[in-house]
Amino acid sequence: MKDPEMLDRDGEDGGAPILRICGASKAFGGVQALENVSFEVSQGMILGMIGPNGAGKTTLFNLISGLYPPDAGRIFFNEEEIQRLPTHQRVRMGIARTFQNLALFENMNVLENVMVGQHVRTRCGFWGAIARTTGVRREEAACRENALALLDMVGLVDQALKPSADLPFGWQRLLEIARALASRPRVLLLDEPASGLNALETGRLGDLILAIRNQGITIVLVEHDMSLTMSVSDRIIVLDQGRVLASGTPEEIQTHSAVRTAYLGEHCEQR
Amino acid sequence: MQELLQYIFSGLTNGAIYAVIALGFSILYGATRLINFAHGEFVMLGALGLITLWQGLKIPLAIALVLAVLGVALIGFLFERLAIRTVSRPEPIVLIIITVGASIFLRGVGMLVWGKDAHSAPAFFSFAPIDVMGAKLLAQSIWILVVVVALTFALHAFFKKTLVGKAMTAASISKKAAWLTGIPYEWMILLAFVLSTATGAVAGVIITPITMCSYDMGTLLGLKGFCSAMLGGLGSLWGALAGGIVLGVLESLGAGFLSSGYKDAIAFGLLLAILYIRPSGIFGAKDLHRF
Amino acid sequence: MTQSSLHETVRIGLLTGAVAAAGILFDNAYHIQVLVFIGINTILTLGLNLLMGYTGQISLGHAAFYGIGAYTSAILTVHFQFSPWAALFPSLGLAVLVALIVGIPTLKLSGYYLAMGTLGFGMIVFIVFRELDFWTGGSSGLAGIPSLKIGSVDLMSGRNFYYLVWGAVLGTLVVSRRLIESRVGRALRSIHGSEHAAMAIGVNTQAYKLQVFVFSAFLAALAGFLYAHCIGFISPGSFDFMASVRMVTMVVIGGMASIWGALLGASLLTLLPEWLHAFADYEMIVYGLILMLVMIFLPQGLLRGLLDIYERSRNA
Repeated sequence: MKDPEMLDRDGEDGGAPILRICGASKAFGGVQALENVSFEVSQGMILGMIGPNGAGKTTLFNLISGLYPPDAGRIFFNEEEIQRLPTHQRVRMGIARTFQNLALFENMNVLENVMVGQHVRTRCGFWGAIARTTGVRREEAACRENALALLDMVGLVDQALKPSADLPFGWQRLLEIARALASRPRVLLLDEPASGLNALETGRLGDLILAIRNQGITIVLVEHDMSLTMSVSDRIIVLDQGRVLASGTPEEIQTHSAVRTAYLGEHCEQR
Repeated sequence: MQELLQYIFSGLTNGAIYAVIALGFSILYGATRLINFAHGEFVMLGALGLITLWQGLKIPLAIALVLAVLGVALIGFLFERLAIRTVSRPEPIVLIIITVGASIFLRGVGMLVWGKDAHSAPAFFSFAPIDVMGAKLLAQSIWILVVVVALTFALHAFFKKTLVGKAMTAASISKKAAWLTGIPYEWMILLAFVLSTATGAVAGVIITPITMCSYDMGTLLGLKGFCSAMLGGLGSLWGALAGGIVLGVLESLGAGFLSSGYKDAIAFGLLLAILYIRPSGIFGAKDLHRF
Repeated sequence: MTQSSLHETVRIGLLTGAVAAAGILFDNAYHIQVLVFIGINTILTLGLNLLMGYTGQISLGHAAFYGIGAYTSAILTVHFQFSPWAALFPSLGLAVLVALIVGIPTLKLSGYYLAMGTLGFGMIVFIVFRELDFWTGGSSGLAGIPSLKIGSVDLMSGRNFYYLVWGAVLGTLVVSRRLIESRVGRALRSIHGSEHAAMAIGVNTQAYKLQVFVFSAFLAALAGFLYAHCIGFISPGSFDFMASVRMVTMVVIGGMASIWGALLGASLLTLLPEWLHAFADYEMIVYGLILMLVMIFLPQGLLRGLLDIYERSRNA
């Protein structure tokens, strides 16, 4: 399953962490959503993050992408401290994300959603837009080409001019991934990308995730679908009640007793 | 000293009225997270309605008061049914425009029914003003303060002690959870509108003896009521009361010692200051955001 | 060039032709006057539509900027004998400055709070117009505002002012169009779609909201400048809360996020009072009903909404 070439590259980088979370904590009112969470993500890996609902996975994504600041702790991207930077700067640095409950721009068509995803990689400003110089036109054309290429990659190029809200749910998920990729991220945070997808779609999603990693993009994957997470992840972190319960390779996690009782056991019983 | 006291008295009276209007905003916001830009117009309808019933139709005061409040509550009922319930996309920007539309509409109706002239009503009772260190405290003012405090107590009891009141609070916290526990969510919204507009009407009827009433009185009163509600923390009943009094006294002192022309600007300046600095209100808890 | 923008170029060409033709065909001074007001209102509506329709940020106090444009130029020309053209830049500049100062804190608000904040701001500016009577003439207004001249040609004579206003309208249309169809326009629309998602794809939402707010204030001030020099007299009543509501109604009726809708909304609501005899008594009822009915039944605006209904009935 794992691409040997990628593993080599991983070795070349010496496994330098591209993302490092040090003691992150966050509380909402009386609820401690995250408590002293620390971990690292090495360049080029797929990190799976699992845990029951309310374990703090989405909160962690929001801290990394900057929707709100942590109460305590530090976040490093490429050894640069980022926890005080606004979201848009983090995207510019190379952190992109998708949302658990889809956040497409329903007032735009499919193509425009991916074009706007390139916001941080394009430059045209207020005056440029009004003057519409040749440089601006060229950038616009390139932006459109890029967007079409990304749509092609996720298989939605035929839907380019449809309103995004008209796409079936599974395709909307793919569109959101294409939009996130449009910002040319170095780290991609995927928040439950398989939820609401059928088995066939989930399988294709797994291939897409591996293909994205093969382009050198590091992925953090929050996912409830165990078989998907176990099959694509290089390492897995288990969160429970805002703390890191365990971390290791998929094999280690599957045999970890605390994890089995806290999470997998419960999960299996539901099935 | 006498002058200062007089300003404070008149500020208290106005503030009590702002407080009642603020209560209306807070009831609705507490239950629905919605702000009704037409709230001031319900105050106007209450005031002018009372004047017509009492002075025009010679209905005894007590009955006229009840009829005016009930009549406005009925309009609030229709407003929710016809204009709010029917919205297909209940986003804030849509609801803002609809309630602004309702505000202009009701004002237009008010102008057609009552004309452009101001109306007034005689005092409800004829007691001599009380003399406090040379400053006059009108019996009407005391009556208004009593009504306001009683109303706040009653609403507080309603939301904390009765099943319906608790259900309304629950529905505002989570629509889904309320629905699962069998709370008729839509009825709760309707009830919030009726209660809120009736409270607006109460504010309207109690000011008829102390101010000139006209079709366009609602905008300013509504905004000042909103400002009071924000001061006290939107959604809080006691905060509304405190916010109203604070605004009333500040405004009265400002008008007395600075300039009466800019009196209204004080409320708006205060409103902007709160919105910018502490949108959860001076007395309110800080808002929490979860995504 | 894409097909849609080619389409737009044709439309703008057609409009230019229509403007020129109307200028030649209408010789009645009253008709020309009405067309001038339609033009001024179109500039206002285009500006507010960029803010409200495209970016999703409501302003219930936009008449303040309209008033700042009008009063600044009026005061400079009446009290300080500025030539109107020399007063243009301070007028626009002041509106831009005020928009910047007010916009930075105000645009951090959203939804109802933003609406209340802008409403409060509009009220304060209105009160200032009314109370600063030494400069503004207070409630009774400011008269004797000179008309615009180019060299020795008085733009108020004949159709000159009509061409000036509609030239500005066409310019505003083209600029708005270009803005919307650019990276900037997409960023603005993403804020309307979902502010969190917009941030998450790297849009500096505060900066963009501020930019579009300032630009719409600029356009409102431009409209105010034209208005003041067109009728030569201004009073606070033209810039009160109802004026802001009128602007919102024009945006709503034409359809939020529609440039051509702005033209339609401004035309309809400028013509309505001219058509309806004794409209003044019913103005508020009509505006209120329009706002409620359009938002309830045709939230896409009158034009789009009616077209949708027509298509549905044809398909049914």
